Amino acid sequence: MLFLTEILRAEVIDVRQRRSGAVQDLAVRAQEPYPVVTGLVVSRRRNLVIPWSQVRTFAAATREVVLRIPLEEVERHEADPNEIWLARDVMDKQVVDTDGRRVVRVNDLQLVESGGVLLLVGADIGLRGLLRRLGLEGLAKRVARMLGRELPMVLVSWEVVDPLGAAPDLVHPASDDAVRLRISGRRIAKLHPADIADIVEELGAKERQTVFDTLTEEVAADTLEEMELSDQVSVIEHMDAERASDILEDMPPDEVADILTELPADRAERLLSLMEKEEAKDVKELLAYEEDTAGGLMTTEYVAVGEHLTAQQCIEELRRLEPDAESIYYVFVVDQDEHLRGVLSLRDLIVAAPSTPIASIMIRDIISVRLEDGAHEVAAVLSKYNLLAVPVVDDEFRIQGLVTVDDALDAVLPDSVKRKLPRAR
Amino acid sequence: MTRLFGRIRRFRRAFVLLAVIGPGLITSNADNDAGGIATYSQAGAQFGYQMLWILVAVTVSLAVVNEMGARMGVVTGKGLADLIRERFGVRRTTFAMALLLFANAFTTVAEFAGIAAGLELFGVPRFVSVPAAAAVIWLLVVRGSYPVVEKVLLSITVVYVTYVISGFLAHPPWPEVLRSSVVPHVVPRRDFVLLAIALIGTTVTPWMQFYLQAAVADKGIPNEHLAYSQTEVVAGAFVTDFVDFFIIIATAAALFGHLSSAQLGSMQAGDFARALEPAAGQAATALFAVGLVGASVLAGSVVPLSTAYAVTEAFGWERGVGRDLGEAPAFFGIFTGLLAIGTAAVMIPGLPLVTLILLSQEANGIILPAILIFMLVLLNDRRIMGRHVNGRLANTVAGLTVAVLIGLTLILLVASLPGSPLSG
Repeated sequence: MLFLTEILRAEVIDVRQRRSGAVQDLAVRAQEPYPVVTGLVVSRRRNLVIPWSQVRTFAAATREVVLRIPLEEVERHEADPNEIWLARDVMDKQVVDTDGRRVVRVNDLQLVESGGVLLLVGADIGLRGLLRRLGLEGLAKRVARMLGRELPMVLVSWEVVDPLGAAPDLVHPASDDAVRLRISGRRIAKLHPADIADIVEELGAKERQTVFDTLTEEVAADTLEEMELSDQVSVIEHMDAERASDILEDMPPDEVADILTELPADRAERLLSLMEKEEAKDVKELLAYEEDTAGGLMTTEYVAVGEHLTAQQCIEELRRLEPDAESIYYVFVVDQDEHLRGVLSLRDLIVAAPSTPIASIMIRDIISVRLEDGAHEVAAVLSKYNLLAVPVVDDEFRIQGLVTVDDALDAVLPDSVKRKLPRAR
Repeated sequence: MTRLFGRIRRFRRAFVLLAVIGPGLITSNADNDAGGIATYSQAGAQFGYQMLWILVAVTVSLAVVNEMGARMGVVTGKGLADLIRERFGVRRTTFAMALLLFANAFTTVAEFAGIAAGLELFGVPRFVSVPAAAAVIWLLVVRGSYPVVEKVLLSITVVYVTYVISGFLAHPPWPEVLRSSVVPHVVPRRDFVLLAIALIGTTVTPWMQFYLQAAVADKGIPNEHLAYSQTEVVAGAFVTDFVDFFIIIATAAALFGHLSSAQLGSMQAGDFARALEPAAGQAATALFAVGLVGASVLAGSVVPLSTAYAVTEAFGWERGVGRDLGEAPAFFGIFTGLLAIGTAAVMIPGLPLVTLILLSQEANGIILPAILIFMLVLLNDRRIMGRHVNGRLANTVAGLTVAVLIGLTLILLVASLPGSPLSG
């Protein structure tokens, strides 16, 4: 096993035992699954690189890189500005360990020689890497041994590493430069949205945008849903308006309304105007309610069906509507003027004979809250009747929306409690 | 629809206000912490108006350095600790973080000394006030109710406006004040050099560079809005130093020439409070104490917290008050450790609080050049800053600040040798 730290500053010796400078960096080419070392950078200032094919061996003990040929025959070439240099572009940078689902810093890089080529196979993200950089690894190992311990090595395989903001670009500093190191498409994008949210919350604003740019709209929407409101606002505010509106369309209208209220008015208006009419209308309705009331908490995504259907027709209607997970548990039965007449649970529907009219199995004694009811009242109702969601009605008992138990809980739990909740692993 | 945008407009006002008075306001207010108040007061009491020109010069430096930090935060979206690690590697990062830890431990001690001095004016002994303050700060930050408290503390520091009123009511000799503000005058004495270092080190502090840039980066301000951010932090610098200017004037008018050199060497917080008498009369002491405690608690929370963030960021360790102790041991260790050091140092019996505070600001002034050099290298790196690299003005002003501080430190070393002509 070889670390970048061990090869940096090693002497370059030609075939006639003459010195030819020191290794300042290693150039690599992105390749699946492991990047391959293409050259030794011997002068960073003059961009001089010796191709790796002219290297015979690296002697770790004497810290010497031995070339196959005499100095005069070494073909040095000017570095390609797009080349990735490990010490300059990867070392010390933040990367995402998609296995551990966390943001870590590269303390050292692990290289392995295999079939005549040198491959970048892993990143050292532990204390031991830091100590090696400080020249204290040997000392620390001896101290640990005296205490009867081993100094643990914390390595992550390069296969699960997603670089962030590495290799800054000359024209657009810290922009989408990470893309250049990308090998097989973003691995982050394949994680669960809750994990992506955990990761991006640890990143700076610009790196956060880089990650969001690689997510599909649906994944971006799901990830945003898992984030704190202030972070949601910062992501949406700095995103291209077209894309932001597309992502907002995939989110529940109540969350969209919460985000828009925190944005500057012109930005909010622009995003609303770019959204599909149907979704924008739902959001606008919600924006009219005060934040801490049932009206402000509710989502307008609920399932309402006419009262003359049979169980079979009702299930077909559900298939057609494809409702979201959080709104499917209850099916509301309304008359033609949207007055709430009854409620069906999914269970009632499924166990009923297909030809049963839903009017005969629905529960007519409906638990509901009114638009202006406070968040605590809503939570109390949900808790008292053990409901997953409660319908919100206006003065004439027309259904306006639905408050789910998690939205109600979010509104009544103090921030200090929420922040202390353990993170899902 | 009207209701809709009525609501959005209402929120927008609050939002714009928050966006504008973010990093600049907190940093400038925390600038008038225990260290700031003690140093400016001591300058007025000991040298009258003679140090005003230094304050004027350092204001320019503060504005330039603040602008550099804000620009770096906006352009890179990263904190200073992040950039130092990515540009300079592990060794030099370890050096920078060791300096920062040392300076900030000293600063935390000063803040707790400020809390102790302020509450002693209300008759609360320090072995009660200091541990209580440390416990309150720890709980507020870790339990997450800190943002609310921060606003309360910020509003408390408004009492410093009293200094401006006092400064006018004391009828200082304005021609002399103005001349002293623009004409450099050096008193060739070791204590003048020391106080000059403290004055620069309390105005442009090392911890502020880390805090300000992280706060700006965290806001995710896009490059197009760079100018707003620059204006905000530069304005913040001038507003703060406007108040500081009057702290020196009010204290000079009240105390300069009335004290023996023995008294000057052992100033008490209560003595400094007399500067507020022209405006506040009987209430001067109480007002001074309230302001001092408010600003000290504010900075006493911000300094340990921002240190914990900077160090863990630099080394890539888990961080954040949302984590628990097991997940982020280094983060909580640094935060708690700094609070503990601050508490323990102030509890040493018989320690003169004002002297301790001044000492901490001198330490900050001596460490500052190293941090500024790190910043200057980063700001001149095109790979990092792109077309937003430092201009000649910023390089000159920041470079001069570095040179002056290093020069003063060398003079201080020479002056501290036995038999030096500057001693005494």
